[in-house]
Amino acid sequence: MNWKKQVIDFIETRLGIRDILEQNLTKYLLPRNINAWYTLGAVLLTLFMIQFATGILLLIYYVPNPAEAFQSVERIMNEVPFGWLMRTLHAVGANIIIIALLLHMLSVMFMASYKRPRELTWLSGFIILNLAFALCLTGYLLPWSQLSFWATTVATDAAGAIPLIGDDLVRFLRGGSMVNEATLGRFFALHVMGMPLMLGLLIGFHLFCVRRAGISRAPFGPDYQPREHPDHFEHEEHHDGIPFFPNYVIKDTAVICFFLAFFLAIVFFAPNLFFPESAFEPADPFVTPPGIKPEWYFLWAYQALKIFPSEIIGLGVQGAFMTFLALLPFIDRGAERRPFKRPLFLTCYALGILLFVGISIWGHYS
Amino acid sequence: MTTHVTPPQRRKFLFIILGGVGAAFTALAVWPVWRYLLPREKTGEDAKIPIAKADIPLGKAHFFSFRGQPAVVLQPAPGQFVAFSAVCTHLGCIIQWQPGKGECLCPCHAGRFGTDGQVLGGPPPKPLDSLPATVEGDQVLVG
Amino acid sequence: MIRLFVSVIVFSLLVLAAVDSALAQEETVCIQCHTGQSGSLATPVEEWRQSIHAANGVSCHGCHGGDPTDFAMAMSPDRGFIGAPDYASVPDFCGRCHVGVRQNYGESAHGQAVEDGGAQCVVCHNAHAVKKAEISLINEEDCSRCHEYGRAGEIKAAMVETEQMIGSVEQNLDRLHQLGIATDQIEGGLFDLRNRYHSLFHSVDVEKVRSETDGFQGELQEITQGISDIDSQLAQRKIWGGAAVALLLFGGIVSMLIRRTYHDEAGH
Repeated sequence: MNWKKQVIDFIETRLGIRDILEQNLTKYLLPRNINAWYTLGAVLLTLFMIQFATGILLLIYYVPNPAEAFQSVERIMNEVPFGWLMRTLHAVGANIIIIALLLHMLSVMFMASYKRPRELTWLSGFIILNLAFALCLTGYLLPWSQLSFWATTVATDAAGAIPLIGDDLVRFLRGGSMVNEATLGRFFALHVMGMPLMLGLLIGFHLFCVRRAGISRAPFGPDYQPREHPDHFEHEEHHDGIPFFPNYVIKDTAVICFFLAFFLAIVFFAPNLFFPESAFEPADPFVTPPGIKPEWYFLWAYQALKIFPSEIIGLGVQGAFMTFLALLPFIDRGAERRPFKRPLFLTCYALGILLFVGISIWGHYS
Repeated sequence: MTTHVTPPQRRKFLFIILGGVGAAFTALAVWPVWRYLLPREKTGEDAKIPIAKADIPLGKAHFFSFRGQPAVVLQPAPGQFVAFSAVCTHLGCIIQWQPGKGECLCPCHAGRFGTDGQVLGGPPPKPLDSLPATVEGDQVLVG
Repeated sequence: MIRLFVSVIVFSLLVLAAVDSALAQEETVCIQCHTGQSGSLATPVEEWRQSIHAANGVSCHGCHGGDPTDFAMAMSPDRGFIGAPDYASVPDFCGRCHVGVRQNYGESAHGQAVEDGGAQCVVCHNAHAVKKAEISLINEEDCSRCHEYGRAGEIKAAMVETEQMIGSVEQNLDRLHQLGIATDQIEGGLFDLRNRYHSLFHSVDVEKVRSETDGFQGELQEITQGISDIDSQLAQRKIWGGAAVALLLFGGIVSMLIRRTYHDEAGH
């Protein structure tokens, strides 16, 4: 059609979109030995988009007020057509995102892709992970169920262990001495506006870092040789590589499909994995339900606090561990990236995962 | 390989299938969102329920079904009609009218409600849900 | 920058980390004082802790009156304290809350004979260890304490089927509730039905129980129908969900095959 061509030409002449697309799709070459773990970024982008979409849809019927919040969620689950689907997608999706984030982080760690020049990519990714945790925590309160109320009470309580400022900090987080209307107000604002905005910016920055530095070669295969990064900026080129589009995008698509299949299987066949009974009881500040436990991704922190004789030490150790993870690329600076040539790293890596899983299971059954 | 299908041909065929899958999945995804956003149709359930004034003598109660739930309409003072849900807000039992006392009583745990639906005593946590009642001719319209 | 970052991390961790916080429920002066005593002055508290009253937050003063916040005046008649009622006034004592049951009981053989030692509430339900009313309360051992079991057994036989229906509806509602289905309204209706049915029993009139059983079973069937409607909706969701999952798996496989065509091409 002629008008179509005219419109395209009009835009092309002014913005040169075709060139941008070429540079970033067909002429954007990825290393030949790229593997399936590299698709997790695309999977996460998809999952975050689903969270954004379902989140906006839920906002239409949700009422952020202690008197009506629980009822409004109940209405979404029972009366609004497909409201149950949107709500379950959003709640289960949060868990799936954490799984994908952890996998993404672990695979990047295993292949040592965080090393120079990709320190900023790692750092922004690590902040994204923590922001995702914070989004999970703030979102948890919004349905104003027994689970919401007490999980938030218990979680904000932990801040009280900090010397000197602890009590004031708890008051600040809650907007009062107890979890109440003020807490819901600030958590709501953070969950639907503040944090998503920050998350969007950070994801943008993360992608920018990835694109500028170029995709790192997987440190496997006989051809792989570690090399020092020069002192000036250099985009990692792969002249013999495969084009991002369509060759690798189709692989992204495949893994996204499999991940979404897993996600939907839980949504439709095992949503109760992530909804304990107290999630469907309205919040009652006077009755503590038995056995309140944090979500699975916080169990390690929960249990770590209990292991140490004092909460301050527990918090300190956790803080030190997270700081170590955040600063990993600045601490681990050797050029070698092949896992099997880094026995110390590999041992810590494997033990670390075992410890995380072990402490979480311990926390679950304690 | 003995087949004469070249990779690009195979790819073209597979892309068509993938396109079909994508279209089917998009339809599956768009339909719930569309229904979610669609203004909900008003059903006949929203209609007002007419009750003859003669059925509600002064100081007496008339029980009826309002949108599937038990409800009651009273005439506490001449010409004044009030209606509310007859489901006790404590545990869901159906309240009874006590003509002698001019109040409602829940037989399960002795919750007491006044003629305005307010809690007078007992365990109910909140008043009975009140329903709008208007007089039209010799009828009272509830809803 | 790094310091700021570290503080962000530490801060978020503090927020995220979770610890136990058991909010000790404040105990009334009744319980504080009586737990320390011995014998029959302490046992009511022990028994009450196991009861359905305790489970639903009905404490000493709910029945005995008095002031649960003031040690000195706790048992003063000025603050509405009622001690243990005598045998024949127990029905009125319990009937202050359980009005419906009180009425049916009053009309029954048990109630008519209460002045002459006819069974009253606590004879079957216990004074402090009040259990949820269940059909197992009617049994040969307990009824035979006063009279032959024959007629009681007949009543039990007449009630058992309806009672089982109530039990199974309760279980189903529990199951649906855990899936996030709003069951409050149905639960309220069932509670009402269960109460009416149990008051009916207090008339200890076999013929009355038999003649009204059909009505109750009809109501129960209606509730069961509602539950199975919800169940079939849930089953339908699973079918669509299964279709979506299958479609995604298929899409994933097709994408993998497409990816392979690029491989093959590069190999040639």
